[in-house]
Amino acid sequence: MNDDTKLEHFAKRLGAAAAERLDVDATARNVVAALRRQPARRRTWIAVHWMRVAAAVVVLLGGGLLVRQTVTVPVDSEHPDHLVADDLGDLTTEQLKDVLERFDEIVGSSTALPDSSDLRELDAQQLRDVLRSLEG
Amino acid sequence: MAHPQLRTETASDTGLIAAWQAGDEQAAAELVGRHARALARYLSGAGAPDAEVDDLVQETFIRAFRGVARFRGQCQFRTWLLTIGGNVLKDYGRRAGRRKVLPLDESVHDVTGDPHEHAVATEVEARLTAGLQVLPRLQREVFLLRAQQGLDYEEIAAALRTTPGAARVHYHHAVRRLKEMIG
Repeated sequence: MNDDTKLEHFAKRLGAAAAERLDVDATARNVVAALRRQPARRRTWIAVHWMRVAAAVVVLLGGGLLVRQTVTVPVDSEHPDHLVADDLGDLTTEQLKDVLERFDEIVGSSTALPDSSDLRELDAQQLRDVLRSLEG
Repeated sequence: MAHPQLRTETASDTGLIAAWQAGDEQAAAELVGRHARALARYLSGAGAPDAEVDDLVQETFIRAFRGVARFRGQCQFRTWLLTIGGNVLKDYGRRAGRRKVLPLDESVHDVTGDPHEHAVATEVEARLTAGLQVLPRLQREVFLLRAQQGLDYEEIAAALRTTPGAARVHYHHAVRRLKEMIG
């Protein structure tokens, strides 16, 4: 018998007496009785873990809101959304007038408006032309 | 209390666990019947005092059943149970404030046959037991799971949350040191 085999042989024998001596039926009865005496611990464990999950969710949501409030750049509400529209053709006449009026307020009256520059007198195409000229 | 009636061998461990989780106490008794002796061997081999093995086996099962939600089939139920037994034994050692090397139970030894062979076997087993106590815990557990319980490295790795390669290394370190101690 080489060393490895001998070692495994004796390892397999370890605890054999303790195993033989064990009263398995009595062990089963005692285990079941112990579990019956304190059955609530399973539910307690589950409840504790649900509480932890709920707390983690609250922390994440709260942290997320805090971060969002901290890092979000406030949008200048005076700038109409139409300024970022990619296609002026999507805008209605009223929207285009609104854009120009707001834009005029921002940059002053130095824009290339038609001579009789009452925006309300311009049609949609003229308004688009004005806006495009402003975009360069 | 009624005597637990063991079922047939057809129910799988997984099925019995599900039955226990649904409130079937007999399923728990069946699982104890299936694995208690292997657990006792493991605990004894890992250094549990003979007088404490019964209690440690019970404590291991109770802890396992109460935490059975954490068992997700990553390894066999018995393997998972043995690892819990290792934790229970560690906790016992802390409580006892010592890691006691115990003499082997007399009934381990075959008292028939050649007295010289018997004496040699006794000595080797005593050295092996003593040697196991001085190994790092992971090496000891890997060695017992492999050499005593006959598990493969994949199973051991899954139970101990390591890799099969690492389990193999631990085993070979354990074997090398134990061979030095046994002589």
